[in-house]
Amino acid sequence: MIRYIVILFFLICMSYAQGDLLDLVSDNVAESNPVHATFKATRIVNSQSIEMPRPGTLEFMILHRFGSMSDGFYDLFGMDEAVIRFDLKYGLNDNVSFGAGRSSLNKVFDFFSKVKLLRQTSGQDATPFSLAIFTKFEIHTIDRDMDMIDRFTFDLQALIARKFNRSLSLQITPTFIHRNLVQTQKEPNDLISLGIGGRMKLTKRTSVNLDTFFPIGERPDSYTQGWGIGYDIDTGGHVFQLMITNAQGSYVSEYVEHARGQFEDLELYIGFNISRVFSL
Amino acid sequence: MKIKIIYLLMLVPLVARDIYFTRSGKVSFFSSTPIEDIEADNGQMTCVMNLETGEVSFRIPILGFSFKNGLMQEHFNENYMESDLYPNASFKGKINDWSNIELAETPQAVRLDGTMTIHGVSKEISEKGHISLKNDNIFGSSRFQVIVADYDIEIPKLLRENIAKVIDIDTELILKKK
Repeated sequence: MIRYIVILFFLICMSYAQGDLLDLVSDNVAESNPVHATFKATRIVNSQSIEMPRPGTLEFMILHRFGSMSDGFYDLFGMDEAVIRFDLKYGLNDNVSFGAGRSSLNKVFDFFSKVKLLRQTSGQDATPFSLAIFTKFEIHTIDRDMDMIDRFTFDLQALIARKFNRSLSLQITPTFIHRNLVQTQKEPNDLISLGIGGRMKLTKRTSVNLDTFFPIGERPDSYTQGWGIGYDIDTGGHVFQLMITNAQGSYVSEYVEHARGQFEDLELYIGFNISRVFSL
Repeated sequence: MKIKIIYLLMLVPLVARDIYFTRSGKVSFFSSTPIEDIEADNGQMTCVMNLETGEVSFRIPILGFSFKNGLMQEHFNENYMESDLYPNASFKGKINDWSNIELAETPQAVRLDGTMTIHGVSKEISEKGHISLKNDNIFGSSRFQVIVADYDIEIPKLLRENIAKVIDIDTELILKKK
């Protein structure tokens, strides 16, 4: 009897011994890896995304918004008109990027930086989300009788993003805007809002994106909540973003606080963003 | 007493095996087309070899490949290898004709047969390599080619000119005794 048991054990041992060799050295410590590609581009639609240019790369971005669609076929749904912004940004390292841009609307020059403080990781001791601080300094150079100091606007945003799975990423964007000069006395110089954005991938290379900014505190009657819905196409070398939005300007103080378009009047803008990356 | 013997017997197969391994094997790949060359290195290959039977297994974390161009690395993981779904490439096989091979300090050519799994697709392969033994370390190296389409890795039309259909793989390993 004992002999059979011994043989049985021996067989069990043999079968164990024939398992995958890798099991012999498998360490149970799952490595923690940074989560990549929360969004495809440095913008969700209008809003900044958690993504930034990679270390040592220069990113040139063109943000193009056509005119209002409200006149319909007469001006080909706004395509006769255009408002354009372009910017150039540089990734200093994994956590710091900066750049400058120019928007044709209000002839705004701006300087901005994005600094990543926290990076989402997977595996053991995972960090659940990424956090970056985006700051921007705008100068409205449109020809108007005003002091230089009155032309300045400061923007501060916290970008808090999480990639939930390979398709779904969401971002919360608390935003603080300070304008040195406001149009009426009633308007506050400081404005706070909460941005929410997200993307849902449709295929490996395309996704649908949404973003909007909810106001916190009072706003004048003319205020309209800014939003955008977009479609990202990743062609390999660059990302192409098509969108419909109710804000024609693509700098922070414009798309957060000065969205004008009403859905009912079809006062919306078709637009696109293109980014091209150069390795230096 | 008898129970002790049984325990001893259980241990025999584990102790007797000559296991060599590494967690830092090097693997790199190279894609060359007239338009551009793409290259990536990975130093996180885990490889285990049983010196008695000639069995070899290895595992390569896809996220461990580093590219000069960060965007390429992202595309490699996101669009081609889908490393969130298939985090590792692996191989399980055996050195051909192992019983007739005597390890020496000078590298000798061997043939490795087994199953390679990349991007969730398994394929039988048989590739050449070199193996040698020095200071109780096993040195292994292999240079072979992988056909991208064999592993259901899609290259979009627009980039067909940029990415080679056949990728050169280079591996270099130093295995230590476990």
